[in-house]
Amino acid sequence: MIFITTILKEVMTMYNYLITLTGKLRNNGERAKRPFRVIMEKEIADHVSSWRFIILIAIIALTCMGSLYTALSNISQAVKPNDPEGSFFFLKLFTITDGTMPSFTVFISFLGPLLGIGLGFDAINSEHNRGTLSRVLSQPIHRDYIINAKFAAALFVISVMLLSLGIMVMGAGLVTIGIPPTAEEFMRMVFFILLSILYVAFWLNMSILFSVLFRQPATAALSAIAVWLFFSVFYPLIVNLITRSMEPAATASPQQLMAFEQFHLTLMRVMPNQLFSEATTTLMMPSVRSLGPLTMEQMIGAIPGPLPLGQSILLVWPQVTGLMAGTIVSFVIAYILFMRREIRSR
Amino acid sequence: MIGSLPSCPYPLCLYCKCESTLFNFVVDIKKRQKQEEIIMLSMKKLTAVFIILSWGIISYGINAATAIDSILLYTPFTKISVPPGESIDYTIDVLNKGETLETFDLAVSNIPRSWSYTLKSGAWNVRQVSVLPGEKKSLSLRIEVPYQVNKGNYRIYVSAGDAYTLPLTVNISEQGTFRTEFTTRQSNMEGHAASTFNYTAELRNRTAEAQTYALQGQVPRGWIITFKANGKQVTSVDAEANGTVNISIEVKPADQVEEGRYVIPVRAVSGTSSGDLSLEAVITGTYKMELTTPTGLLSTDIVAGEERKINLVVRNTGTSVLSDVKLTHAAPVNWEVTFEPEKIETILAGREATVTATVRADKKAIPGDYVTNLEARTPEASSKASFRISVKTPMLWGWLGVIIILAGIGTVWYLFRKYGRR
Repeated sequence: MIFITTILKEVMTMYNYLITLTGKLRNNGERAKRPFRVIMEKEIADHVSSWRFIILIAIIALTCMGSLYTALSNISQAVKPNDPEGSFFFLKLFTITDGTMPSFTVFISFLGPLLGIGLGFDAINSEHNRGTLSRVLSQPIHRDYIINAKFAAALFVISVMLLSLGIMVMGAGLVTIGIPPTAEEFMRMVFFILLSILYVAFWLNMSILFSVLFRQPATAALSAIAVWLFFSVFYPLIVNLITRSMEPAATASPQQLMAFEQFHLTLMRVMPNQLFSEATTTLMMPSVRSLGPLTMEQMIGAIPGPLPLGQSILLVWPQVTGLMAGTIVSFVIAYILFMRREIRSR
Repeated sequence: MIGSLPSCPYPLCLYCKCESTLFNFVVDIKKRQKQEEIIMLSMKKLTAVFIILSWGIISYGINAATAIDSILLYTPFTKISVPPGESIDYTIDVLNKGETLETFDLAVSNIPRSWSYTLKSGAWNVRQVSVLPGEKKSLSLRIEVPYQVNKGNYRIYVSAGDAYTLPLTVNISEQGTFRTEFTTRQSNMEGHAASTFNYTAELRNRTAEAQTYALQGQVPRGWIITFKANGKQVTSVDAEANGTVNISIEVKPADQVEEGRYVIPVRAVSGTSSGDLSLEAVITGTYKMELTTPTGLLSTDIVAGEERKINLVVRNTGTSVLSDVKLTHAAPVNWEVTFEPEKIETILAGREATVTATVRADKKAIPGDYVTNLEARTPEASSKASFRISVKTPMLWGWLGVIIILAGIGTVWYLFRKYGRR
């Protein structure tokens, strides 16, 4: 956790250094920084030094350490003969578990929303309540810089954090098992981290939306957590309730069974965490070839084997598109609401 | 005669009609014996006088005459028929019928020069023999007939001095040789190109001396011939005079041998003699083929619902002509495989034919690897090639996703322009 905070600070200094360097190169170092960048840097600095972020990062880092520890202690059992994923030994670090602790990917899918919500629920309303918003807006800047910079700063922090976590897991695995990841494994891990960033960005946008909607930060936080809980706990229950009543008999025709399975899966795919877990499973287990129900016709002649990375990405592309669309939609709503809001100083 | 009285064999005997005449008969016999004795006495006196008278006159002449006649050489079988290379053992008895001891030289004459003989009594070679009057001596004569001898009758004389000559006839039953015989019972064998031909041959040394034979076989290029004697691989063998060596000859045809009849001359050569044998190996044709690609790569990729052409090579690796080669396939469900051409008329041995297979994957095929078996088949042989075909999903849906995302970003951009920069 201290490690990540340090990394973030280092990144910030490097970023500043690069800015000044490019400024010097342009020979206009005297010019003031662009207001968007100023707001963003300020936001990042606020996040990094806030207790809220430190606690969140501590929770996530510790649970990931725990899952990494279980993965490392069980990695010897993970290697089986005739495993089509035998050449993707390194990826197992992210997926295997002995049942006592969920794996790294499951933790990200569970705690990632919390991180996004935590960084976004008070983005607008706290500024509004403190009266700082009108003060900032009295400066000659565009109004949308505020919401954009808030989002960008939180996303930047999340990206650096998840990247460093992933690299930490890779490094710890490399030290422990001594086998370097192949290029494809590395690419898969990078895509997994990008996917996680996208997933957290979705929740971040949702909480920013709530922070625009509700004046009280506590209300925004609670409603965001309610949405998260609804999707992680209640929605699957409701889907099960609905589908159980519709379940065809065991003697039903294959077409009916197929249609039912498809329907169930469609309902489940409303959940962002379902989309995320499908995408991570496909990325981290290259032998996954399909995410829906399959007919026997499709299975005849198929031999188990890992998919190439491009095919895996193509397979989860709908999920990625869905997550990205969700992110954009919530951002657009938050943006419109914020832009139309009347901001008065108290 | 007395003893035989109860059942007298003489029908004219007058004395055996009844027992009562027995006494009379005995008396009568005694009378007759007395009369005979009287006659004999008078006769002896007469001959004695005669002998004494004639002794002085003809004693010497009679002596010589009796020596010539009294010696006799005797053997029971005087004409024997043998094949060349045999030896004949005669047992010759020398009889002295005369009154005096006879000593004379023994000689075997008229024997052909290449023949050899030994005349022995017991363990000794005998040149001269003495025989007591009225006795006989046994001699053994061994005549060895060489291999190189003409067919026919040969007369050999065994003479005891000048006194007696015993003619012996040896009939040579066949034309003799001085040579090596190299024979096999089964010189012809049939098998396919991959089989090994094992011939069993006999090498018979029919010369008078031990020989060392070098063994050679003239095989076509690529063939392997090995000789084995006593289970060991050899290049030469030793054979004693008149000895026989069993040789097994192993012939392995060349790898790509064509069908046909092959004659393999085999020779066993020593310094003085040689034997020839000709073996025959009849190679039957084999039917083998291989279905592969020009590069040997048996994997390809395909986009679901689209076509992929695969170049195939049907290679005739057998030794016979393959005709009517049909191409079949076993692909996953809803996959289509067509061949161009569908059938190959003939492929000569060692040649190959090219076929193009067009594979169309199912639209609903899931990404990943599928197995498709392609097979080339004739009634005689078949070859299967398993292709690992990686199915890729079409990019269409991927682009659709990209368009949706771009539309979203475009909306955001539009909003920026509309609201942000007021």
